[in-house]
Amino acid sequence: MATTAATSAGIASEAPRSDFGRVLAQRERRFAAALLAPAFLALLATTTFPLLFLVYTSAFRLDLAMPFTNGFVGFENYQVLLSDERFWTSLLVSLVYTGSTVALQVIIGLALALLVMDMKRGQGWFRVIAILPVVLSPAVVGMIWRTFMLAPEFGIVDFLAINAGLGSKNWLGDPTLAMVSVIAIHTWQWTPFAFMVLLASLASLPEDIYEAARLDRASAWQRFRRITLPLLRPAIVMVIIMRTMVALTAFAAIFTVTGGGPGTATEILNLYAYRKSFTELSIGYGAALAVALLIVTIIISGILFALRRAK
Amino acid sequence: MTAKRLRAIALLAISMVFLLAWAFPIIWSVLNSLKTDSDVLAYPPKLVFSPTLEAYRDVLFGSGSILPNLLSSAIISVGTTIVTMLMAVPAAYALARLRFRGKKFAGFYVLATQMLPPVGIIIPYFLVLRNIGWIDTYQGIILIYLSFSLPFAIWLLVSYFEDIPFEMEEAAYLDGASRLKTLWRIIIPQVRGGIAVTVVFVFLNAWNEFLFAVVLSGNTVRPVTVAMFNFVSVEQTLWAKLAAVSVLAMLPVVVLGVVAQKHIVKGLTVGAVKGGGRR
Repeated sequence: MATTAATSAGIASEAPRSDFGRVLAQRERRFAAALLAPAFLALLATTTFPLLFLVYTSAFRLDLAMPFTNGFVGFENYQVLLSDERFWTSLLVSLVYTGSTVALQVIIGLALALLVMDMKRGQGWFRVIAILPVVLSPAVVGMIWRTFMLAPEFGIVDFLAINAGLGSKNWLGDPTLAMVSVIAIHTWQWTPFAFMVLLASLASLPEDIYEAARLDRASAWQRFRRITLPLLRPAIVMVIIMRTMVALTAFAAIFTVTGGGPGTATEILNLYAYRKSFTELSIGYGAALAVALLIVTIIISGILFALRRAK
Repeated sequence: MTAKRLRAIALLAISMVFLLAWAFPIIWSVLNSLKTDSDVLAYPPKLVFSPTLEAYRDVLFGSGSILPNLLSSAIISVGTTIVTMLMAVPAAYALARLRFRGKKFAGFYVLATQMLPPVGIIIPYFLVLRNIGWIDTYQGIILIYLSFSLPFAIWLLVSYFEDIPFEMEEAAYLDGASRLKTLWRIIIPQVRGGIAVTVVFVFLNAWNEFLFAVVLSGNTVRPVTVAMFNFVSVEQTLWAKLAAVSVLAMLPVVVLGVVAQKHIVKGLTVGAVKGGGRR
């Protein structure tokens, strides 16, 4: 960034005090404003305005099914929210879902990246196959898992479970298994992301440190613990931050696979806000839930960024 | 030999398991899409069968054809890509190259917009679009897609703009070319590759989007990700057809993903290096 500013200023700064320099700098500003205007107007209209309108909406009772009860209610939606058991359950489900999927993605992704890094042949296969899940629509992924993989006495996972002597399970009908299933599906789709990013950063690590460590007779574990892990830390933290943000607002896969059910077993906060607004048509309260989700997102990313800055 | 050899074999086996785990659901959908319904339902699952294109014929040309939905997906994705690129290329150039007050804040703002949960955007947008009658219209859905495609495209393009040498621009200025001319004639050709990669990712994300689509779709605008629900209902699931639709929905993004293979890590992590962001 610093070099960018310095060099692009190069033309103007040759004569910073002259009128000529000032005119050039002013022209540059105007040109920049003209180039930025369309994108920033669009961003204001599609992100900032909705945010303000969302907060405004959350102060109303806005029930499309019962319009005669609508009106301004101030903080009432938030008061209801704090004593709403379904809200707290969905928050817990969100945290469990996010925590477990992110942890699984990073651990499996890192392990695989280390494994593939040592492979002399076949790395290319991993690079190509790993792309497949991450480019797919989570809605399509959810649909495939719900039917061809998990349907009782039909899906492949159930087939494997039966043959392993576990018997046929109701993968999406049992509350615990449904939660395990949606976590597994998200992990299946996004572990390749962690794998690809970590493999790329592994490949960029300097070779000579490892040579030195080998000469010092450091064991494989010591090399991993003392060299690889510290050097990979920025990449790992970045993966954690990005995946956490996505997992918190995961929607399509869960919606397709369980719809939040059975009951509210897999209803993350994001899905609860959606269901409240668009299934139960209670939009004011749904908006309050969405604001709560935003606050949770900000708090969690604040913690993660502090973690990133900490040494 | 043994310990080392055994370890190598074990590692190979583990990696094969993971490769299979990732590829299998996709391969299995493709196989099922080539079966008759009775073959799909066969138990134990059939790996060997006589393939047929019947399911594809039915979903494409039968009653309730999904051709209009594929077209709908294409219009949304292409429209979003065009509008996004027209706005993102100039903005990214300004952020990467020009000097102006508030530049840092502008960059931060673009990143921060991505913090908003999509459900928090769709609730107010639904209310607004309902009021102006834009539910189930292409302009309505493309407009809201800008909320995630623009920040992404701007940051990805900034990273490409930053890679080109400054000498080229300076030489052009000294030759007396205007700023706009320099941008159009000198800079844009330099970042053709970056623009192509950005187009791929914007298209891909628009094609895959689901939450906004499910809320805003209707009889006119109904992308394939939403329409595939027609094939699963409480009464019956049309297995082979569902598989065929899934494969058709996957096809464009898989092709694009493999084509853009080398750039995918950059595309997936853009913005993160600068301090935040997500896919």
